Amino acid sequence: MNYDQSRIRNFCIIAHIDHGKSTLADRILERTGVMKLRDMTDQVLDSMELERERGITIKSKAVRMPYTAKDGQEYELNLIDTPGHVDFTYEVSRALAACEGAVLVVDASQGIEAQTLANVYMALEHDLEIRPVINKIDLPSAQPDVVKGEIEDEIGLDCEGCPLISAKQGVGIDDVLEDIVKHVPAPQDDPDAPLQALIFDSYYDNYRGAISSVRLKAGRVKVGDRIRMMAGKCEFDVTEVGAYLPLGYSPKDELCAGEVGYIAASIKDIADIRVGDTITLANNPAAEPLPGYKPVLPMVYCGIYPADGADYENLKDALEKLRLNDAALSYEPETSVALGYGFRCGFLGLLHMEIIQQRLEREFDLDLVTTAPSVVYKVVKTDGETVFIDNPTNLPPVQEIDWMEEPMVDAQVITPQEFVGAIMELCQDKRGTFKDMKYIEGGRVQLKYDLPLNEVIYDFFDQLKSRTRGYASFDYELKGYERSDLVKLDMLLNGEQCDALSIIVHRDRAYPRGRSIAEKLKEAIPRQLFEIPIQAAIGGKVIARETVKALRKDVLAKCYGGDITRKKKLLEKQKEGKKRMRQVGTVAVPSEAFMAVLKMD
Amino acid sequence: MKPVSLYIHIPFCASKCAYCDFASFPGREGDWSRYFDALWGELDGWRPALAGYEIRTAFFGGGTPTLVSAEYIVETLNRARRMAPFADDAEVTIEGNPGTLAPEKLAAYRAAGVNRLSLGAQSFDDGLLKSLGRIHTAAQIGEAVAMARAAGFDNISLDLMYALPGQTMKQWRETLESAAALGVEHLSAYSLIVEPGTPMAGRVDRGEARLPDDDAVNAMQRLAVKRLAAAGYARYEISNYARPGRECRHNLVYWDRGEYLGLGCAAHSLVDSRRFANPAALDAYLSGVRRTGETRLTRRDAMEETVMLSTRTIRGLDLSAWRSVFGEDFAAGREAALRRLSDAGFIGIEGGFLRLTGRGMEVQNAVVLELLGE
Repeated sequence: MNYDQSRIRNFCIIAHIDHGKSTLADRILERTGVMKLRDMTDQVLDSMELERERGITIKSKAVRMPYTAKDGQEYELNLIDTPGHVDFTYEVSRALAACEGAVLVVDASQGIEAQTLANVYMALEHDLEIRPVINKIDLPSAQPDVVKGEIEDEIGLDCEGCPLISAKQGVGIDDVLEDIVKHVPAPQDDPDAPLQALIFDSYYDNYRGAISSVRLKAGRVKVGDRIRMMAGKCEFDVTEVGAYLPLGYSPKDELCAGEVGYIAASIKDIADIRVGDTITLANNPAAEPLPGYKPVLPMVYCGIYPADGADYENLKDALEKLRLNDAALSYEPETSVALGYGFRCGFLGLLHMEIIQQRLEREFDLDLVTTAPSVVYKVVKTDGETVFIDNPTNLPPVQEIDWMEEPMVDAQVITPQEFVGAIMELCQDKRGTFKDMKYIEGGRVQLKYDLPLNEVIYDFFDQLKSRTRGYASFDYELKGYERSDLVKLDMLLNGEQCDALSIIVHRDRAYPRGRSIAEKLKEAIPRQLFEIPIQAAIGGKVIARETVKALRKDVLAKCYGGDITRKKKLLEKQKEGKKRMRQVGTVAVPSEAFMAVLKMD
Repeated sequence: MKPVSLYIHIPFCASKCAYCDFASFPGREGDWSRYFDALWGELDGWRPALAGYEIRTAFFGGGTPTLVSAEYIVETLNRARRMAPFADDAEVTIEGNPGTLAPEKLAAYRAAGVNRLSLGAQSFDDGLLKSLGRIHTAAQIGEAVAMARAAGFDNISLDLMYALPGQTMKQWRETLESAAALGVEHLSAYSLIVEPGTPMAGRVDRGEARLPDDDAVNAMQRLAVKRLAAAGYARYEISNYARPGRECRHNLVYWDRGEYLGLGCAAHSLVDSRRFANPAALDAYLSGVRRTGETRLTRRDAMEETVMLSTRTIRGLDLSAWRSVFGEDFAAGREAALRRLSDAGFIGIEGGFLRLTGRGMEVQNAVVLELLGE
């Protein structure tokens, strides 16, 4: 197809988690013939193993599809996939900036949920044409008319004639495509203006180098062009441009205004590509870069260390590569007495943290030791200075602290009525302040609380899930800082403080947390030659104590007939085991012990 | 003459015991003659390499060396003497099962120069013997000792086992007392190690057999030290006790890292700073496979082995020998570890030797790792 901007439709699909976004994307790929049926595995766009496993979409991607509409014209559809979870708001925002329209998928039986709204607001911010689609109409509990009403009432979108589909059964997919062609506006970008290509994603390809996923907002780019990163100030020669297919690349001669695709330029240093930057041509640069993205602030921090100190450089490379296509990940080197050299990493939330850890372990084959997550505390010192602390180890001495503040979130829980009591109890336990309760569609209740973020990152999700059998949905937004009676809880092993195990906690929570961590450590630390006292302490005052008893017996008696190989092997095994442990003073602590602290009952 | 010890493996048994994962093969009587031909061939082949060596100790282990006809043992010894001369005071041990002895066999061994008999007694409780799959009774142990005495053996050892499923402290005490009452010169007390793949491991996995916990095992071990000391047997190695002067010189060679040549199926050797072994599978041995897994020991290997092996003995690690062999002070760089281990009562340093205490021996592996700086 020749370049004709009026035939291009750039769109994304937005939905609350589980409302069927990925399934619809699969059906669209199938319908447009980009994927043959036999190539289809469920949820093609979720190519990362992790995504498939968790049924969530983490990374945004773009796929180009030709589509011949009922008007007989051929269109070029660019589907930009977006993550659905609240942790990945930033990525959603980047993807939206590359589109003119958004297909809003709503579950015909669940109706509007927390993230439906969050995504809609974001799409509106980017001035997108939002096209509602009611999915899962095949379910017995489907109430498309009720849901339509909800969308009209709560979001204000016209649902007249909106596609009623079952992505799972392939019903109504054509309606969705026709709706996109008819209602999503074509881009109106100037192909003859100087190049402005918005980088909305980037990643590393072993053969092509660092690759930018771009939306051209003006101009053209082709192989051989010298391009300039407007913020990054560096220049490269383009080696390849093209569009994405679901399972690979489709190189093209050039990319033009309004199109979505990729640019490769043998970029070796992955730090040279900044998501949000604008690419222009070196010999005919645009006057202004496109508006960038709002920078994201990580909410949750933790230390990530290689289980084997020798892997430090590998961990560094891996983080660099992940950072390239996950702009929300931040990291900087830190050292711990107990864990050696590692990185303090910042994340959007707990899920984001967990996913990064797993990607590091799976995609880069690293064994990691992770410290307990921490939020950023505000410390006002007696000399008037204010510092922000994301690592408990860096907390100034108590006598230098005038007061401390902790981040609070506006939390919203939507739940079937029967769990209201359980949720209120949980929020109370978590030092929450009740704000509001209202009854919404479908016999559900929306509860609003102010909650300290450090309670949310602790075990709030797990508790919520178990207390509501998974029926409640939870969303939160950072609200600001509030003064709080916080203390640093230290763990001592054989009398020596282990920095990697320190946490900052509310004074009222310190005792149970200290006791629980001491118990967990007792289980995780193997018996050693010497008895190991484990103590939890606040500023030198011990509040909980456990003991790992000394090893009773560890001897292999037989070396029969001069065969010492067995004994040697056993010793080698024990040596290996010890290597995987961290020496905290005189105590060998297995990597798992540092994680055990994260997992609460 | 350079000293060397000789280990000869006889991989035949009347039946396999429930805990055994040694190279022993019941029901292969038809292979005896082939086996000894192969063994003798191997022996003869070593003759040139052993020039300048003198055999100080020899040990027939198994399996059950007393199972096969005495002529095989006698001929093996004859050939061994042609391979290298035996020292005048050479210690020559044969291991045996109390259920396989006969006066004629014992007399033949004596005549061929065997001067020490090591009997696998294991227990003096018939119930436990049965559960272990032993082919003899408690009464047969006493009869075997008497028979050996009559044949002129003045150096007899019994192997005993503890930490057995269902074994009570009382049973163990009685076993120790019965063994001592027989007036043998030497006793070995081995803690049961459940090896994967043995019938015993199956029983434990299925929950049919329950093993005593670590504290109970330690208590049995301590009881052995105490009872046997009272009866005149001093502990000289983690599992070994002897009347004065009756320590097993052959086993001491292993702990001292002296040179030894192992012949036959599954036999291990340490010769000229190299460790190697014959295949554990009888058929592989019969088909001519020899000397596998040969490793030349590095200085570091030698150091690790020295720590690991010498600390098994009551004598301990010879610090001045360490200095002369490795050219460095053992304590250098280990000061903190040594102090900690010694303060906690795991080791003692006295008269130029570092030795493990009784408590230290219970956790020898962990202590060794500390000493190795791991």
